[in-house]
Amino acid sequence: MISYVLPTLVGLIILYSAIKRVKIYDCFIDGATASIQLVRSVFPYIAAIFIAITLFKESGLSQKLTALLATPLSYVGIPSELCELIMLTPLSGSGSLALLEDIISTYGADSYIARCACVISGASETVFYISAVYLSECKSKKLSYAIPVALFATFCGTVVACLICRFI
Amino acid sequence: MNIVFLLLAFCGLVAMTVVNPDAVFPTMIKGASEAIALAFKLLAIYSVWLSVLNMLEKTSLDKKLSKMLSPLTKRLFKGESETAQKFISINMASNMLGMGGAATPAGIKAMKEMDDLSGKATDNMKLLLVLSATSLQIIPATVIALRGDGGSANPSDILLPTLIATSVSTLCGVILCKTFAKIKSRKKEK
Repeated sequence: MISYVLPTLVGLIILYSAIKRVKIYDCFIDGATASIQLVRSVFPYIAAIFIAITLFKESGLSQKLTALLATPLSYVGIPSELCELIMLTPLSGSGSLALLEDIISTYGADSYIARCACVISGASETVFYISAVYLSECKSKKLSYAIPVALFATFCGTVVACLICRFI
Repeated sequence: MNIVFLLLAFCGLVAMTVVNPDAVFPTMIKGASEAIALAFKLLAIYSVWLSVLNMLEKTSLDKKLSKMLSPLTKRLFKGESETAQKFISINMASNMLGMGGAATPAGIKAMKEMDDLSGKATDNMKLLLVLSATSLQIIPATVIALRGDGGSANPSDILLPTLIATSVSTLCGVILCKTFAKIKSRKKEK
C-alpha cells in the first residue's frame, strides 16, 4: 500500500500541471539544470564530511567509542547490540542502513532488537550530513547549539524507541 | 561544524596512523570517492525532484501548501518572509512524506532565504536544521521495506512506535531550540 502513495502523488501533480497548462517538459529541463547547480554547491561539503567520517569509521575509533558507551547506554535501557547503530546513524545514512540490514538478518526481523533498530532508524536522520548540506549555500555557518540539540533530541527519541518497543 | 569536523578528522587520523599508517591516505581518498559517488546519485535524485518542485511552483500548489501549513510554520518561524515560509513548508511536507530528494533542495533554499549574512546562523535557521535532523518522517518506507525483505510477519507494525519516537525527538528539539533562543535574546536585553 505504502509504495503507491508517492507515485500517485507525483502523478496527480503532473496531471494538475497539465490541466493548468504548465509546460511539464520545460519543468524537467529546468529541474535537471538546477540539479547540476545544486550538486556543485553541495559537493564540497559532502566530500569534506565523508573524508572525516571514513577516517573515523575505518580507524576503528567508532567501534572503540561504541564499546566504551555500551555500559552507560544500557542504564537508559538501550541494548548493547544497538550501540553501533546509534553511533553510526548521525554520521552515515548508507552505513547505518547496511548495519540495520545486518541486524535484521542476525536477530530475525521480528525480534526485539531488530524492531528496536528499525524504529531507531526510522525516527532519526544523518544529523552531521544535514548540518553540512543544508547550510551549503549560506554565508552564516556558525551553528552554536543546533548540532548538540539535534543529537540530544535524537538520543531522547532513541531512548523512547527502546522503551516502547518493549510494549508495542 | 568546524569543531565536529576537527574532532572526527583529527581523532580519526591519529587513530588510523597508530593502527595502520599506510592506510591513512587511501582511507581519506576512499571517503572522497564515496562523496563523488553520492554526488552523482544526488544529481540524479535532484533532477527528478527539482522537476517536481518546479511543477509545484508553476502551478502555485506550493503557495497552497504553504497556506495549509502556515498556522504551524508562522508560529515556529516568526518573522520570516513569505518565500522562506514557502520553502520551509515544502521542506517539512516532503520530510514528512519521506521525499528526502525534495526536502533537501527546499531546505537549502529556505536556509538561504533566512540567512542574514552575519556569519552566525539565526535562531530560525537552527530551528529548521534541528527539525530536519530529528526526522519528521511519518512513513519510514525504506526501513519497512528492509523489514519485509528480512521476513517479518508484519513489517509495518513499527509505524506507531516510530511515530511516537520521532515525535518525541522532534518535540524535544523544538523545545530546546526555543529555550536557547529565549535565553540568548534575554542576554541581549541585559
